[in-house]
Amino acid sequence: MNGVAARRPLLYLAVGCLLALLSLLLPTSGGGRADAGATPAAAPGVAAGVPTAPPAAPCGQIRDSLRPSGPPPAPGAFPPGSTMAAIVARGRLIAGVDQGKYLAGYRNPATGDLQGSDIDLVHQIAAALLGDPAKVQFVVLDIADRAAAIERRQVDLVVDQFTVTCARQRTVEFSSAYLTAAQRILVPVSANVHEVEDLAGQRVCTSRGSTTEGVLRALPLHLNVLSLTGIPDCVVELQHGRVAAVSSDDAILAGLAAQDPQTRVVGRALDNARYAVGMSPASPDLVRFVNGVLERARADGSLAASDRRWFGALNPVPQPAAARYRD
Amino acid sequence: MSLDVRPLTRARAASHPRPLSRLRSLPVAGPSTPARLLRLGAVLVVGCLLTAAVSLGSGLSRQSATAEGDGRVAALSVDAAELYRSLADADAMATSGYVAGGVEPAAVRARYDDDLAQAAGRLVRAAGELTAADPGRPLVATVAGQLPVYSGLIETARFYNRQGLPLGQSYLGSGSRLMRETVLPAVERLRSQQSVALADDYGRGGAIPFAVLLVCGATLAGLLDAGMRERRRTKRTVNPGLGAAAGLLVLAMLWWLTATVVTDARLDAAIRHGGATTALDDARAAVLQARSNESLVLVARSGGSASDAGFTGQLTRVLGTDGTGGLLGTAAAGAGPDGAAAIDEVRAAARRWQQAHQRVRELDDAGRYTDAVAAAIGTDPAGSRATFERLDAALAGALGTQRAALDADAGSASGALTGLAIGPMVLALLAGVAAAAGIALRVREYR
Repeated sequence: MNGVAARRPLLYLAVGCLLALLSLLLPTSGGGRADAGATPAAAPGVAAGVPTAPPAAPCGQIRDSLRPSGPPPAPGAFPPGSTMAAIVARGRLIAGVDQGKYLAGYRNPATGDLQGSDIDLVHQIAAALLGDPAKVQFVVLDIADRAAAIERRQVDLVVDQFTVTCARQRTVEFSSAYLTAAQRILVPVSANVHEVEDLAGQRVCTSRGSTTEGVLRALPLHLNVLSLTGIPDCVVELQHGRVAAVSSDDAILAGLAAQDPQTRVVGRALDNARYAVGMSPASPDLVRFVNGVLERARADGSLAASDRRWFGALNPVPQPAAARYRD
Repeated sequence: MSLDVRPLTRARAASHPRPLSRLRSLPVAGPSTPARLLRLGAVLVVGCLLTAAVSLGSGLSRQSATAEGDGRVAALSVDAAELYRSLADADAMATSGYVAGGVEPAAVRARYDDDLAQAAGRLVRAAGELTAADPGRPLVATVAGQLPVYSGLIETARFYNRQGLPLGQSYLGSGSRLMRETVLPAVERLRSQQSVALADDYGRGGAIPFAVLLVCGATLAGLLDAGMRERRRTKRTVNPGLGAAAGLLVLAMLWWLTATVVTDARLDAAIRHGGATTALDDARAAVLQARSNESLVLVARSGGSASDAGFTGQLTRVLGTDGTGGLLGTAAAGAGPDGAAAIDEVRAAARRWQQAHQRVRELDDAGRYTDAVAAAIGTDPAGSRATFERLDAALAGALGTQRAALDADAGSASGALTGLAIGPMVLALLAGVAAAAGIALRVREYR
């Protein structure tokens, strides 16, 4: 057809418009806004209250420690090849401690220095080894990390209200006990709680990897046990009203109650603990040496004096423990 | 048009004595050549009008996309980045103030206060700029809700510190954890959302304008087809109206193509500078976290969960495994030659801080804790604190340069879009008038 026809331009226009419409409908670029919505994390610092380790196989009896081979020699005068000689050669004792346990092992925020009854003991051992109580390198350990730090030889010894247990004795050689303590509970002054039974079904906080955690779980009270890295973290939770009570040894709880007059220690002893210095089973000479230092401290009263100095306000004042040896 | 055709209809009506149907009486219907011409003219004019409309719509949407990227989103991504910096800096100040022991130095305390004030300001601005449906809103709400909790924890820590009680440390740890695990990740997500939105806006601003080109091309094809047929049919030269219309449409298309190419190139530069800015923001955040980690490891005396790996990890992110790549490498690639010098300076400052930090670690690992603390927070110009502060300042300087370059790119990209909505539209309308005039000339020949 050779005439005038609007058909073809109309077709072009229709096709053009259709394609244009399609191009407008299709997204211009793939960049959609991904990552929509927020999922706020759980409450800060609250770890799930799951046991960190499977319950250990039943253990027989707690082993006694190794008898000291006489009174400690003069500082620096150690048989060549002994663990003590190696520490003297290094020039400093490396000690694992805590810095949050008020009165036992804590960092004084005013000076940045570590203080407490456990720290006193570390300085005493350092003085006997090196002749200078200040020749110490402190390593602050999490409660659950104490045994592992000894095992990987990160520290020479641990002085951190370290309770002697049969399970720990698989990897740790303990000195003779230097303090006895009892596990009790810390509650707000206003709470009507006198015994652990008053807490049935409620949330109780303790430190992860401690012996107290197992004791709480074993009670037939369906306690909701929350375990945190350190006991002071539990006090933060208590002060925020997120837990009903904190359970630990009385020597530790005394330090917490001393920091917050709105809390008090109540209840009977749920468990008894004996604190000792933890060392490696591979260096029995060091264990015997530390036991010698402890013997001397018991004899000259410096151990009792240190306890009185730090725990004097506690009723009853925790007592130095008597030494028992398996030889 | 109808004025021109009325006599024609009458003439035809006279030649066909029988009554015409209503349809047949319309001037454009029927098989006659003038009617066909009119139909053709109508199609061509409609095509031109459609081109004008699509051009106007696309031009406006494109201008608003780049303007949005230029203004709101760019400001917001800067806000989110600065919010992150303020908060991370506040936490670094809070933890390093604790390392010192005693009451923290006044300068550290002042910087912490300033950080929190700035963060609050940024937060208010960011909240004001987000629409109700924006996915960033819950993130801003998280930060706004947790910030007072954080500062409460830090103040409690300070209170206990002043009492000489170690419980303060637990509060500090709680606060720092809240900042690192909840608040900072929320800000980080807000920032990455805004970066994606910015890239999306810029992508739309520089995309090929398919709709305009298709409608305009189809109309042009129709015009050319009609023009060729007319030339063959009438054996005359090109119809001047149709020719002019085709020319005008070609001009409109060229305008669009040129604007697209120019905008795209400038937005590419903007995206490159945006990448450099993001990398530098990340580097700054990593450096602040490394500084916090240095303090925390000192406070924990290398024990527990604190480990120097947190420091080395962040510095490796910044410098790369071989010391020449990392976030600074990314930043240098995006910054181009003029920004490279500033980034080299940042790299040198980062290496100096790394060495100073190495010294802190050596002292601490050798049991010289007090010396290590002095090296970390003392005023020695070669010490960790001074070198860290110089690195932070160098990063701030390089960031400022890149942000200015980004702003300039975005501004010139918007400039290239000037008149894009109106210009091609006017050309298409003129093309419609020309096509109508061209067809009307032919129709008039049938009078």
